[in-house]
Amino acid sequence: MARFLVRSVISTIITMLLVSILLFFLIQVGSGDISVKILGVFATEEQRASYRAQLGLDAPLWQQYVDWLVGNDWRAEAKVGYPLVTAVNPQTEEEEWWADVDGQLTRWKLEEGRLSALKRQEDGSATSHLVSGAWQTDDQGREFFWGVDTKNNAVMWVRGAGAEVWVLTKAGLRKEGDGPQKYIPLRKGLLRLDPGKSLQYGRPVAVTLLPRVRNTLILAGVAFIIVMPLALLLGIIAGINQGKFLDRLISITSLGATATPEFVIGIMLILILGIWLEVFPAVAIFTSPNAIFENPTLLVLPVLTLTLIELGYVARITRASMVDVMDSAYVRTAIIKGMPYRRVVVRHAVRNALMAPITVIMLHVNWLIGGIVVVEVIFGYPGLGNYIYKAAIFGDYNAVMAAAMVTVLIAVFTRLVGDFAYTLLNPRIRYA
Amino acid sequence: MSEQRKVHPAIPYLQDQLQKGKVSRREFMRYATLLGMSVGAATVAAQCAAPAPPAAPAEAPAEEAPAEEAPAEEAPAGAPVRGGTYTASMQLQLLDHPARLSWVEGANIVRQVGEYLTETGPDNITRPYLLDRWEASEDVKTWDLYLKQGIKFNNGDEFTADDVMFTFGEWLNPDVGSSMLGLLAYLSGMQDVEKVDDYHVRLHLQYGDIGVPEHLFHYPAIVLHRGFEGDIIKQPVGTGAFLLDEYAEGERAVFKRREDYWRNGEDGQPLPYLDELVYVSTDKDAGVAALQSGQVDNVYDPRPTDFQALKDNPDLTVRTASTSQCLLLRMRVDLEPWDDVRVRNALKMCQDRAKILQLSYFGEGELSIDAHAAPVHPAYCEKEIPAYDPEGARAMLEEYAAEKGIELPLQVTLATKNDQAEPEIAQALKELAEPAGFEIALDITEPAGYWDRWTEVDLGITSWTHRPLAVMVMPLAYTEEAIGNWNETRWTDEEFETLLREAQATLDVEARRSIMCKIEDIMQERGPIGNSYWKSVWNITNSKFQNVKAHPTAYDLLYDVWIKEG
Repeated sequence: MARFLVRSVISTIITMLLVSILLFFLIQVGSGDISVKILGVFATEEQRASYRAQLGLDAPLWQQYVDWLVGNDWRAEAKVGYPLVTAVNPQTEEEEWWADVDGQLTRWKLEEGRLSALKRQEDGSATSHLVSGAWQTDDQGREFFWGVDTKNNAVMWVRGAGAEVWVLTKAGLRKEGDGPQKYIPLRKGLLRLDPGKSLQYGRPVAVTLLPRVRNTLILAGVAFIIVMPLALLLGIIAGINQGKFLDRLISITSLGATATPEFVIGIMLILILGIWLEVFPAVAIFTSPNAIFENPTLLVLPVLTLTLIELGYVARITRASMVDVMDSAYVRTAIIKGMPYRRVVVRHAVRNALMAPITVIMLHVNWLIGGIVVVEVIFGYPGLGNYIYKAAIFGDYNAVMAAAMVTVLIAVFTRLVGDFAYTLLNPRIRYA
Repeated sequence: MSEQRKVHPAIPYLQDQLQKGKVSRREFMRYATLLGMSVGAATVAAQCAAPAPPAAPAEAPAEEAPAEEAPAEEAPAGAPVRGGTYTASMQLQLLDHPARLSWVEGANIVRQVGEYLTETGPDNITRPYLLDRWEASEDVKTWDLYLKQGIKFNNGDEFTADDVMFTFGEWLNPDVGSSMLGLLAYLSGMQDVEKVDDYHVRLHLQYGDIGVPEHLFHYPAIVLHRGFEGDIIKQPVGTGAFLLDEYAEGERAVFKRREDYWRNGEDGQPLPYLDELVYVSTDKDAGVAALQSGQVDNVYDPRPTDFQALKDNPDLTVRTASTSQCLLLRMRVDLEPWDDVRVRNALKMCQDRAKILQLSYFGEGELSIDAHAAPVHPAYCEKEIPAYDPEGARAMLEEYAAEKGIELPLQVTLATKNDQAEPEIAQALKELAEPAGFEIALDITEPAGYWDRWTEVDLGITSWTHRPLAVMVMPLAYTEEAIGNWNETRWTDEEFETLLREAQATLDVEARRSIMCKIEDIMQERGPIGNSYWKSVWNITNSKFQNVKAHPTAYDLLYDVWIKEG
């Protein structure tokens, strides 16, 4: 068992790594030019190139991937020559990058060809001092300097060759002289729990993502707790009553519900129960962060939609599996030898019949977390699916990656749980 | 407000014109206030002029004894009731410096906390807001802005000229990157903004412009506190009626009532009437469903399909505002065949305007002439709406084809974006222009795809937003200097441009209108655009809310909104 566990964990890590590589490159290929989205369509090619460089998008893809995974401060440290650390700006409550120059947190800026060091004070503000003699010379005789700028980048300035840089402001782009020649936008990387900054909201992805994950876990959790026992129960009932009226009723109803797309069911429920009869809130309007706790009825229609869709699927698989098992020789034997029917069903039949549904259920847990985009969009439910959808439309690659990795994590985790569940249900399966 | 003050020399003249019925009440109010009269005084002056004012002025600010002049439309019975929450569905994005705002949704958030120097009302009349009044010199190059006294910021500081100077400084500072910088191009820098005393700021324009009061109500033009450091969410200081309680991008914004707001309600207590505002960031479709089920009270900027879905709902009130928003059929006059005025006019004649309006926008708009001047613009010169005339168009095209030695039908490609009503207009035009000898191929892309090339396509449909004055939009698109910028048609016309410059510096209504008559004629006769209609916009709000206004650019003005239950 221990070996199995170790093996599972290792394969999980490898899976996650492979998936993250695949996702990263897919998003890069699929999302198009983010600079168009952010700068608008009126920006020139020159402006876009400058902006892409500031986002670090001019680096080779593998480099971007490594940065994303393990961060790039270690790479920048080698260039800057000082340890790079983060400190919280008490005014904005956001993390800022500083170089630790012999205990003094420092950043630099270049203005009109003169380099000044900004030294961080206790209260988070900085004092400016002119620096001289900091320039290094490269083999072509150019003078350059690597430092940390005020926008959390490690940058290389070249003396007398200040690039013209297009800086984005809300009203458009502004040209600035004295721009750096190279940028490394500093980040700690996903492994150190820094998924980067959301381009859409301008805040760290983690801040905007976590409430969404929580909301979805609640929605999916409630749906799961209602759907799965109900579906299994209905499937078992239908299975042991094969061919009878009850079986037909359950089968046809569940087929109908499952065959109807979720957007049809969702909209019908909104129209009938939400707008016409006004028994439940039509859509999930979160007027406060904890709206679902203050008003749990917000969950009724989304959960009902998910229930109707999921119920039939799991119930039908359970039923088929149950019919199979009920036909098998050992069940017949048990019945013939006079065991109580109830006991045969509960003790012997159900346990074996659950193997197939468990697989489906575990897959559906994952679907409930990440795949319920349609349901979340219809009900305006601020969940993870909705988040991924909006981020993908915007091309907010940091947000998409982070959210996608959360769903991948849940997927491999549920697979693991599924594997353990098999061993519990079927002693013949041993993972040695 | 009733004190005798020296009035601008043009006011008696205007009053005379109003009396003779030569200017409408709206125009009188617009120009009287423009020339520095307060709304109260202008209302009085207007009443003196008009023998029997039939309707109360559209909107009187709260301090102007609204009890006597209740807005005609609503006439709410009984005194306003205090309390309650207003919930609206609107997308919420990143927000920091108000001067850098580039989207009206963000401005609707900031607008509850901060305020403007002027206010262009739903009737398209601009009035003083944080200003007490303004005065313009004869050549409209010197503008005196007099501030209201005794207004306090929500941090307790008094609102003075220092705040106005600071705010102008932010607008004119290229480092801030405000779109106000381009709008206030007549100010070359802070040296043109002079603080005369604590409540008086003087602007010295490089060239005359009558649009100053309108510019001060451009959506990023929120007046900032002199100690503002660049992030309104971290530092929500303003003179507005509400206090920002929570702002979460992509989620929600919550405001609470401010206790010491400077304007009083009808009961003599400080406004606002509402206790709380909640904006929830949802998709439009979810917002519409929430409006129907009563979970929210308003949906930001409803689309035509939303209007169709909501208009007959008994719990909701639809308020319509006419705008100068349009979807222009524009032709590149430097490219064949559009360089020939006959071809341009032939295509313009193929617009069955009423039908196009019906097919593309459910009939919710105002028919237009082929000029970029709308009836909501104060100096608009009334013209007959051109009729659909495929035979006439065919005759002109045949003449052109014979000259060029080509065969009809003339094959052209119409490019536009799948955004508001453009595909429907394009489709309708394709059918309508067929009998005239046009064979139109459609090239419809996603909005970003069209914006990539909007100034470059031969023939296209481009959306233009609302601007309160025609002289604000025309220089952007139909002048020599706008080529390479927003002049998407490359059309220039010496006579047109001379007239436009003249109109930009003309205050006199009749004189300006007669210039506009000529300008509109030139555009219709040889201009580069066809325009079937001006879009209407809707404010759709739960009927229990009183004093709600429909604004042409979807501004939410909520300080005097109140709830009437039942």
